[in-house]
Amino acid sequence: MFFHWLEKNPFFFASAISIVISFAGLIEIVPNFAKAAQPLVDMKPRSVLELAGKNVYMKDNCNTCHSQMIRPFKSETDRYGDYSLSGEYAYDRPFLWGSKRTGPDLHRVGNYRTTDWHENHMLNPSEIVPGSIMPAYKHQFSNLADIETAYAEAVTVKNAFHTPYGDEFQGTRAAWEAHKPKVLADAAAIAADMKNQDVKDAVARGEVPEIVALIAYLNSLK
Amino acid sequence: MQSNAALEYDYSLAKKFTFLTILFGILGMLVGTLIAAQMAFPELNYLLGEYGTFSRLRPIHTNTVVFGFTVSGVFATWFYVGQRVLKVSMAESKFLMFIGNLQFWLYFVGALLATISLFFGFSTAKEYAEYEWPFDVVVVLVWVLWGVSMMGLIGIRREKALYISVWYYLACFLGIAMLYLFNNMSIPTYFATEGLGSVWHSVSMYSGTNDALVQWWYGHNAVAFAFTVPIIAMSYYFLPKESGQAIYSYKLSLLSFWGLMFVYLWAGSHHLLWSTVPDWMQTMGSAFSIVLILPSWGSAINMLLTMKGEWNQLTDNPLIKFMVLASTFYMLSTIEGPIQAIKSVNAIAHFTDWIPGHVHDGVLGWVVFMIMAAIFHMAPRMFKRELYSKKMMEQQFWLQTTAVVLYFTSMWIAGITQGMMWRAVDEYGNLMFSFIDTVTVLHPYYTIRAVAGVLYVTGFVMFAYNIYKTMTVGKVLSQEPQFRTPMA
Amino acid sequence: MDIRELQGYASFFMTIFLVIMLYGYIIHLYRSEKKGERDYEKYGNIALDDEVTSTPVEDKPASQRDYKEENK
Repeated sequence: MFFHWLEKNPFFFASAISIVISFAGLIEIVPNFAKAAQPLVDMKPRSVLELAGKNVYMKDNCNTCHSQMIRPFKSETDRYGDYSLSGEYAYDRPFLWGSKRTGPDLHRVGNYRTTDWHENHMLNPSEIVPGSIMPAYKHQFSNLADIETAYAEAVTVKNAFHTPYGDEFQGTRAAWEAHKPKVLADAAAIAADMKNQDVKDAVARGEVPEIVALIAYLNSLK
Repeated sequence: MQSNAALEYDYSLAKKFTFLTILFGILGMLVGTLIAAQMAFPELNYLLGEYGTFSRLRPIHTNTVVFGFTVSGVFATWFYVGQRVLKVSMAESKFLMFIGNLQFWLYFVGALLATISLFFGFSTAKEYAEYEWPFDVVVVLVWVLWGVSMMGLIGIRREKALYISVWYYLACFLGIAMLYLFNNMSIPTYFATEGLGSVWHSVSMYSGTNDALVQWWYGHNAVAFAFTVPIIAMSYYFLPKESGQAIYSYKLSLLSFWGLMFVYLWAGSHHLLWSTVPDWMQTMGSAFSIVLILPSWGSAINMLLTMKGEWNQLTDNPLIKFMVLASTFYMLSTIEGPIQAIKSVNAIAHFTDWIPGHVHDGVLGWVVFMIMAAIFHMAPRMFKRELYSKKMMEQQFWLQTTAVVLYFTSMWIAGITQGMMWRAVDEYGNLMFSFIDTVTVLHPYYTIRAVAGVLYVTGFVMFAYNIYKTMTVGKVLSQEPQFRTPMA
Repeated sequence: MDIRELQGYASFFMTIFLVIMLYGYIIHLYRSEKKGERDYEKYGNIALDDEVTSTPVEDKPASQRDYKEENK
């Protein structure tokens, strides 16, 4: 009998389990891949500084408390702005939707918060929002963001997934050195709106504190 | 076997993994309690500078509890149960012993380093898959080694029929292997360029909505194959063995097995209801979550009915109490989960504290209770000594049961309160509460939850102490007990 | 036929196939017990009597002989 045979043969038994458990993935996930990865029309991938900011966001796991997914309910669109569309995430690796809103959603935070607001808030959240239980992130003002890794990431996704970065994005050190002034100029533009002198000094020296990259990223969330 | 010496089961690996279970258990639960307290008292975020914020510690809590505590417990019980139900000793194969020890050390060192890496912020930011790619490689190696030793042991078995627990351990192995591999697919950026930037960093192979689908197909089913499947394996062995009663219906256990295998994987998309994944997938996830009640309750009822006619054991054997309570919590959380997966309920429950509440009545009530019961059962056999204190077990039981009840009730209230406040509108249709109002209102519930955490950790430390005392000063047993675990 | 349609058919037929398999399995379990070919409940004893020296519920070499006979 087939079933007897299956129960007594560990190898075929294991294969049977594998088939049964992979069924859902095959039907549900795989066929959707090509379709769901389409970006919105004219959507640009993030700049290197913004990518570095995204990596700061990941390093401090902001996504454990903040979602980036506005659901199609009036109460959410009133509070956070237009509901999220699949295409908006097409260049997000990884997705940062989050699963818990200990703090508010951030998917369109760039529309209603400024560089200045973020600077004050990250230094002392409960001063800006009384009653806030968010910790302060003072270390982001002294730690430096890893812009080189962010550049490597941009090149990687360009080569592997055809994310539309320009031709100047090449995986060589020379190409990175050529691109670096652009990143520093972006950082200087953010730092110009900030008032922390240490941050300004660092940017003037050609360094990018984490907070600058993070704010660039948060401002890009629109 | 040519040796003339009497053949015995070799518990050395079970012992080693038992120590790790306790070590990672204490570590994971301490961090969990700390982050619970941080939500009530934010000043606690600054104990360790940048390394002590909620956001850095939360992945350490989840990963240590899943991949440290639970997986150690699964390994410990496998190296005990596996031998016994296959009626073959690990000592019969030097090769398998070698592989087992290699697995242990690789796992121990890997888990410690991975935990440290999270402290320093090396994170892929995918929940329960935060380890960066070098640690993913270690996880895969450990898993392959476990597969080799499992298949090896099955290969040299005396008992031809595979007991139902072995089915579940096998499924745990295969399921985690598949899920972990696919979800953690990523490209290290250092190697994709001419060595630019950090060696540690990698970028996910999937983007946006696809990444979310793969992640929650993984996230949900990591719960299935780490927190459910191997724990059922344990209960199908330890409950019958401790009570001396065979499984109520072996046929039902086989049917529930296939039911669970088939249905569980579909339910992952219920984590993405109302998001940008296609509607039909959301509906599918919702529907299959409801269907999932059947195989889950099939197993749970089978466990409870195993005690039929022997309920008196519940009053005089604390170990039975642990296991029956575990099965009961399993029933509770497998009805709660499907309720949350109903789209209209999910609209309120998602993103709130009801979700951690649900996870914890499953994990604290079912997973940890079952693993502790398993270790209580194994200890006298492994160390050849009586359990140190029955009284302490009773106290621990009530302390931790109180803790679980406090935990999930406070989080139910907190979650529903916040979910309702987010959507509350006044007579003109304007939102009634600013976001911060919905945070400050939760303070009492966060405080209760932190207290529950303290109680639970205290109970777990009592458990660790009890096992330690059993090892060192428990009354020596002249022969291995057959069913009921002897305790002083 | 686009991928969506294919997906729909695949899902539908696979579900039917698996439902048939599951019911087939249930029927198999009860029928083989009724006909006395196999007593599933005795496997429950594997956990109860699990000393390394105790007699296996189904001995490996012996049952491999059964297996051949069954498949004649």
